[in-house]
Amino acid sequence: MTGPRLFVDAWDPSYGASFEAAPGGPAAPSSAQVDADVELPAVDWRAIGPRPGLRAPDVVLLVDGVRRIDASVWTAEDDGASYPGVAASYAAGVVRCDLERGAAELAGAKVGRGLFTASPSAEEVICGRVRYPVHRVGGAGELSKLPTAVQAPLTALEVEVSDAARTDGDLLVVDGPLRARRQLPRTLGYIKTQHSQYLDARLTAVVTGLRPGERSPVFRLGTAWGGWSWYLRLPVAAGAPWAGIVRLECSAELPPQEAIALADLSLVTLPRFASSPYKDPRAPQNLVPIAGLERRLRALLGDARLLHRALTVATRGRGARR
Amino acid sequence: MTDDLLDGPGEAVGRVLGTADATPLTFWTAVSPGSYLQLDDVVVTRRELPDREPVTIAGVVTQVRARHEGAQFDSDVFAIADGTLPAQVQEAAEVTTTRVDPELYVPPTPGAAVFRAEGDARARALHFDRMERRIPMGMGRDGVPVYLNADFLDGTRGAHVSISGISGVATKTSFATFLLYSVFRSGVLGGDAVNAKALIFNVKGEDLLFLDHPNARLDDPTRAAYAKLGLDAGAFPDVRVYAPPRVGDSSGTPDVSSRLTGVDSFYWTLSEFCADRLLPYVFADADDERQQYTMVVHSVAAHLARYAQPADGGVSIDGVRLGSYADLVDHVVEQLNDDETRGDWAGGAVGLGTVNAFARRLIGSKKDLGRLIRGDLATRRPHSINTAESAQVTVVDLHNLPDRAQRFVVGVTLKSEFERKEKAGTAKPLLFVVLDELNKYAPREGSSPIKEVLLDIAERGRSLGVILVGAQQTASEVERRIVTNSAIRVVGRLDPAEASRPEYGFLPPAQRQRALLAKPGTMFVNQPDIPVPLCLEFPFPAWATRVSEAGRPPSQTLRSITQSADPFAVVGSGSSDDDIPF
Repeated sequence: MTGPRLFVDAWDPSYGASFEAAPGGPAAPSSAQVDADVELPAVDWRAIGPRPGLRAPDVVLLVDGVRRIDASVWTAEDDGASYPGVAASYAAGVVRCDLERGAAELAGAKVGRGLFTASPSAEEVICGRVRYPVHRVGGAGELSKLPTAVQAPLTALEVEVSDAARTDGDLLVVDGPLRARRQLPRTLGYIKTQHSQYLDARLTAVVTGLRPGERSPVFRLGTAWGGWSWYLRLPVAAGAPWAGIVRLECSAELPPQEAIALADLSLVTLPRFASSPYKDPRAPQNLVPIAGLERRLRALLGDARLLHRALTVATRGRGARR
Repeated sequence: MTDDLLDGPGEAVGRVLGTADATPLTFWTAVSPGSYLQLDDVVVTRRELPDREPVTIAGVVTQVRARHEGAQFDSDVFAIADGTLPAQVQEAAEVTTTRVDPELYVPPTPGAAVFRAEGDARARALHFDRMERRIPMGMGRDGVPVYLNADFLDGTRGAHVSISGISGVATKTSFATFLLYSVFRSGVLGGDAVNAKALIFNVKGEDLLFLDHPNARLDDPTRAAYAKLGLDAGAFPDVRVYAPPRVGDSSGTPDVSSRLTGVDSFYWTLSEFCADRLLPYVFADADDERQQYTMVVHSVAAHLARYAQPADGGVSIDGVRLGSYADLVDHVVEQLNDDETRGDWAGGAVGLGTVNAFARRLIGSKKDLGRLIRGDLATRRPHSINTAESAQVTVVDLHNLPDRAQRFVVGVTLKSEFERKEKAGTAKPLLFVVLDELNKYAPREGSSPIKEVLLDIAERGRSLGVILVGAQQTASEVERRIVTNSAIRVVGRLDPAEASRPEYGFLPPAQRQRALLAKPGTMFVNQPDIPVPLCLEFPFPAWATRVSEAGRPPSQTLRSITQSADPFAVVGSGSSDDDIPF
């Protein structure tokens, strides 16, 4: 065959690509320090298959959160200034997949709402039985930065619900990087989208050469939120070099052997959760339990149109009083 | 919202759904985890109203469904069962309203707690509290008795029962007899129950000939079921069985094979046949205006009534002694063929073809009716069916008779009973007439004397105390006026094609489907009081339904009808025991 081979990305275009990459690899080669010699010497890097005899844990917990901007607001300050704000709903939940019993259930879910703004005078908004407490944002509070401000309380909510659901011997899979959740035991961070290229070209070739159900050796990232990390290819029809590749990470505080053990465990656990392309626009990376959880959580957020209307009515009343 | 879960009429089972329309007449209920609702369960909910007392909405579950919430694709069920996809099983039940109290037709509020109705709440939901006289009909699916409003059976506000269902599995006759048993034994008729009579036509097998024999297979659970309904499990105490005479038997012994004692034969003498103008009942379509020969039928009947003289069992016409039905037929045909006498018998302007059509049919009836219309048996021997003088339950066995003879017996018997009630002029005592295969006697198309009698009963029987309990495989083939006059409609298992006919419009769609797989003993009963048909199971008969089940026969059946008439009785001695008989 001549010329470049062409592949259609399995993800729905509106979600971007599973691999946000410049030609040749993930965008902007990371400046992070990478220690590739943890499991295998960098010169010996090769794909690693499942360890024989290792079984998936009976209970797998998967945590995820969703957020939604219900309305954008503007404040009117006494000095004539105006700050933007967003009224956001967010929810975090944990799915408890009891693989032995064959039952996946919502082990806990919490909904939070907030008015995110830098305005010093903003007050909480109450519309009916719904409350939007104020989360004051530091800095100038530009509208474009506000959505990311929702992430912090959402992460806190995720930690809260996942703590409540833990049992001995389970495995917790967190959607996204671990970041502040590194102290949770037996926890994996699950990164669907590859933004940065941490490995050099030769090691990247090992990653893109993984077959479904194989992983790369564990390596160590030297970034601020760094830790042990490895790549894994989920079951996927033959496709683009980065199709079905996810990155997993675990706490940097673990000894290397435990990190490797977790990597082996992830390889026997995660592939069965991979979703199918016709059911999920982000298949296979968006895991089936996560997709189900997100649907449930979105339902818990409440009807967006209803909340928008309630917010409009609540704020209009307030404006009239002034 | 949550505290009303604690004080309800029964256990809280769910809440009114908000994702489907809730209307005053039907609404959906989400079933709480750990609870269940099955079809026919009775539930109740309450709607608070401003400035008014709350409205209680009660209903019957007419559909239940369960589904995975959170699943988008059919194949998601595997992921869910595999434990990878979180989903929730949610059951929901469709409730058809039976009662709104007070009558303020507002929908229930989505989210309102729904309770399983028990005890008084259940009785109120099913309108049992408004029934002054309740006839137990069987058990609901919840194992609690369901009742029939006696007002709609005995003619007070309605009468007649129409029972439909496939032969064999629908247990139509068993239900009809159970209903009779319940009417007679539950005490709802009060003093009238003693004099109330039943006339049952047995059209298939000898099933109904053992009503007075206890069922040898009766077990304790069945007895308990009867006790729960407030009934004693036992046979009908007072039954008289009539059967037609054997073919070719000059002594007129009843033609039965399994029941050997306590069966009397019934027949009509030639003089009765002539005097009572029974000739039209020989013909299936004697009242059909499209038929020419019917003129001849009525003319010959009139001639017979006028000129036939009783003569020692038989009759003598024009000086000819006729000793059997065949003789009579031959004589009539001969007279009609004679140019001189034809005018006297058939009237003046009747063509020869018409006379021949009549003669052909009359000759055809010789074989069928010969054993029923007799001239060779003693006139004074009791032979007629008269419920007023018979036992409480009179069973007339027709199953050995050919079609034409069955029609003749049913038509003539019903006519004489109805005329007797007409003369009496009062509704009491009641007479229940149980007739299977109504579609044969009162078909939707055409007209016949028998159909006229049945129509008369359906339309006027209510005021005269004649209650028709009709059964048929297909209500769609029965005269519409008879079906519409039935206050109580009962359906057992139905044929799928039949179930979709408009005659069963009283069944909600879900019940229509269920009627296709109703098992024996399960009936859907619609009564005017309750807007939803009730599904019930009636207990196994406590009386024998076939010879193998029959226990010891009651002592009075060992006597025959001739023996039961005291041969030493002196004429007139029945007036008073105190009188000196001489």
